[in-house]
Amino acid sequence: MKKLFILATVLAISVSMLSACSKNNNEPSKAANTPANAPANTEAANKPEETAAAVPTKFSISMRTLNVPYVEQNPDINSDKYVLELEKMTNTDLDIRLIPHNEYQDKMIQMFATNDIPDVVQGSGGISGQELAGAVQNGVFMPLNDLLQEHGQNLLKFLPKAAWDRLTDAKTGNIYGIPEVLSNPSRRATWIRTDLLEKAGKQIPKTVEETLDVLRAFKELGVEHPYMGRKNFKYSDTFFGSYDVFGYLNQFKQFPDGNVKPSFFDEAGMKKAIGVYKTMFDEGLISKEFATIESADFKSIITSGKAGMWSMNANELPIWGTQLMTNVPGAKVALIPSPIGDDGKGGYAHYNPVTRSYFINVNAKDKAADIIKFFDWMVSEQAQNFFSYGIVGEDYKNDGGTITYTPPTDEAGTNKQRYLNYWLWMVQDTTYNKRIAELSEPGKQMVDAFDNLLTKEGRRGIEFDPRLDALIKYPDLSPLSDQLPPLVLEHVLKMVYGKEPIDNYGKVLEEYLSKGGNEVIEEATARFNSKENAFE
Amino acid sequence: MLGFIWKYRTLYLLSIPGILYFLVFKYVPLLGSVIAFQNYNLFAGFSGSPWVGFEHFERMFQHYDFLRILKNTLVLGALDISLAFTAPIILALLLNEVRLVLYKKIVQTIVYAPHFLSWVIVSGIFAGMLSPTSGIVNAIVGWFGIDPIYFLGENGYIRSILVGSGLWRDVGWGTIIYLAALTGINPELYEASEIDGAGRWKQTLKITLPSLLPVITVLFLLKIGDFMDYGFERVFVFQNPLNVTNSEILDTYIYKAGLKQMQYSYATAIGLFKSVVGLFLLVIANSLSRKATGESLY
Repeated sequence: MKKLFILATVLAISVSMLSACSKNNNEPSKAANTPANAPANTEAANKPEETAAAVPTKFSISMRTLNVPYVEQNPDINSDKYVLELEKMTNTDLDIRLIPHNEYQDKMIQMFATNDIPDVVQGSGGISGQELAGAVQNGVFMPLNDLLQEHGQNLLKFLPKAAWDRLTDAKTGNIYGIPEVLSNPSRRATWIRTDLLEKAGKQIPKTVEETLDVLRAFKELGVEHPYMGRKNFKYSDTFFGSYDVFGYLNQFKQFPDGNVKPSFFDEAGMKKAIGVYKTMFDEGLISKEFATIESADFKSIITSGKAGMWSMNANELPIWGTQLMTNVPGAKVALIPSPIGDDGKGGYAHYNPVTRSYFINVNAKDKAADIIKFFDWMVSEQAQNFFSYGIVGEDYKNDGGTITYTPPTDEAGTNKQRYLNYWLWMVQDTTYNKRIAELSEPGKQMVDAFDNLLTKEGRRGIEFDPRLDALIKYPDLSPLSDQLPPLVLEHVLKMVYGKEPIDNYGKVLEEYLSKGGNEVIEEATARFNSKENAFE
Repeated sequence: MLGFIWKYRTLYLLSIPGILYFLVFKYVPLLGSVIAFQNYNLFAGFSGSPWVGFEHFERMFQHYDFLRILKNTLVLGALDISLAFTAPIILALLLNEVRLVLYKKIVQTIVYAPHFLSWVIVSGIFAGMLSPTSGIVNAIVGWFGIDPIYFLGENGYIRSILVGSGLWRDVGWGTIIYLAALTGINPELYEASEIDGAGRWKQTLKITLPSLLPVITVLFLLKIGDFMDYGFERVFVFQNPLNVTNSEILDTYIYKAGLKQMQYSYATAIGLFKSVVGLFLLVIANSLSRKATGESLY
């Protein structure tokens, strides 16, 4: 009897474990099938146009959370009231699948590898982005040219050609995605504490030398971080910009010898830039441990008032500015022209004109037309009001054209605002939200900076998309979107830290060439000359 | 044969989940290693990707930094075995000698608590302690008139930091098995030796250590198999361009070259190389141990 009991228990455990396993295994495949097989879709597709309007188009879409708190803290984004309102206005039924911001690339690749691909996939740039893992080239998404002509005229009018080019296969002319654009690619700015500037009795600096003087004055005032440094020169690359030697992925240049090389090959400019950082390091104008300062420290040091000058995205001005002023009463901050180098120019590396992009799965052919209509609506007047302010009658009043809206000041309110303005609004010009910005003082300052200051500065070069094969082959030689290649970065940091003389920089370039750099330059030059997916 | 299985049916039934676990999660994924010999394409799968033979292995051996990375991996592995493996044994022996039970329990809990911290947090703690401006280590060094040292920015210190942080995090955890083995030693042996006039030190050398030897051997053999697996995360969180010369190991290189650049085949080839070396070391150590002590894994 006892033995039988044991046997029965063991059996029960084994069976329950097995069934638990198999349940888990089935889940994704079921999920993968539903969108394609759901009766609602086939119905909608089969019915003629007029009646289809009655049945909402049901489709799934993957979206990166982008660290937006409202999204990440939401228990179920698909039943959020703004998503429901969006569905009502566009007659759709969305199934949003969130992709965690920090694991974006891994999760996307997993999605493709398990073939669990939603009807609409959100990418973060052109058709060859790493997150897409070559999906476009492997025929996972459908060409949209005809559909856009028929249903997407507003999109075609609203979005600039430069953005469409990024989503077009240059060889066939097929458009594969709908871009969200950044009309002003000069996005980062130089920030300065104007209250400290006044205290030091200095003018807003223009050149590199004047900037160093101001930083020295900051140090005398006891500012802990006159210039705010950060690991790998991220968001602290101001002076590389002054000499136009960023050398990032989109910073290739045609040199006088006719070859196309990353801009850090400008040896004289690079030596000057490194020299500036070395001076700052030696004089204590930048933290002695900036090589290990991470982004979280960076933000907390700045917003607690310990930094005098730094680089950050200009559209953060309303948020960081407010935080700083709350922590440090009397603090004032302004965006100023970036320090200029020998050519009278400066600024930061320009961004890719496409921030997010949307691709349609070939298996969702039946509803592709409706999906295009959904995106086409995004650039309409109705959409602009909805995504700027929220729901009529609840978040704002609209009396025959005069809109009354009070921008939120508490954290929950600003989080919601950010979510509507930048996350849920899928296709727009995402430089800044004009309607909201005009309602507040820092907002107006930001618009002014974007329109009058940032448009005039910044560095841009040649970009290859898809990337050069040679860079994939030699990861140490490949720059990132805002970072020097590991091989160069290592030497540059050592020079700043005084472990290697700056005069050695020529040898660094030789090393770069000998370790595969020659291949990089050869390929870049050939592709530039044949205009093969090279963007200027 | 069938009768035999029927006779022990309960045991066989009990083992099914375990066997399945190993099959599904350990053996089937092994087959994925074939992509080391292909140019793997995510969308074409195993069957559709072209075969390239040993191309990725050749590329790995030809990499200009391969020898340096391999050397770093081996040096860290050797340091790990010589320090991180022996430290728990010594600590367990010391704890064993503590007479006050309450004190022993408290110490035990304190030393194995750090094991539950993630490497990201450990690196944060160490970066804080070692900071040249606000760190306690530099404050102490400063008493002796030495200028602050940027420990994380120096090639020369990074290995000590890596091994030291690992020691701090895991030494207590490592003692658990030894402490368990220590309780299994027959107290009569100690009584007998006491009558023969042996002190604590003699007892430790002649009774405790020999009794622990089988456990030590088995754990050592298991550790040897992981010789090249120093671990990705624990190194990555401490790495920066100023110390990368001494801290780049195969695991971090796989991450950078393979996963970040999406060269799955290349990454798999390096990983496979690592595993084969580990297996090789394990077999050698195992046969040596069998000859020397009679203890072995299989």
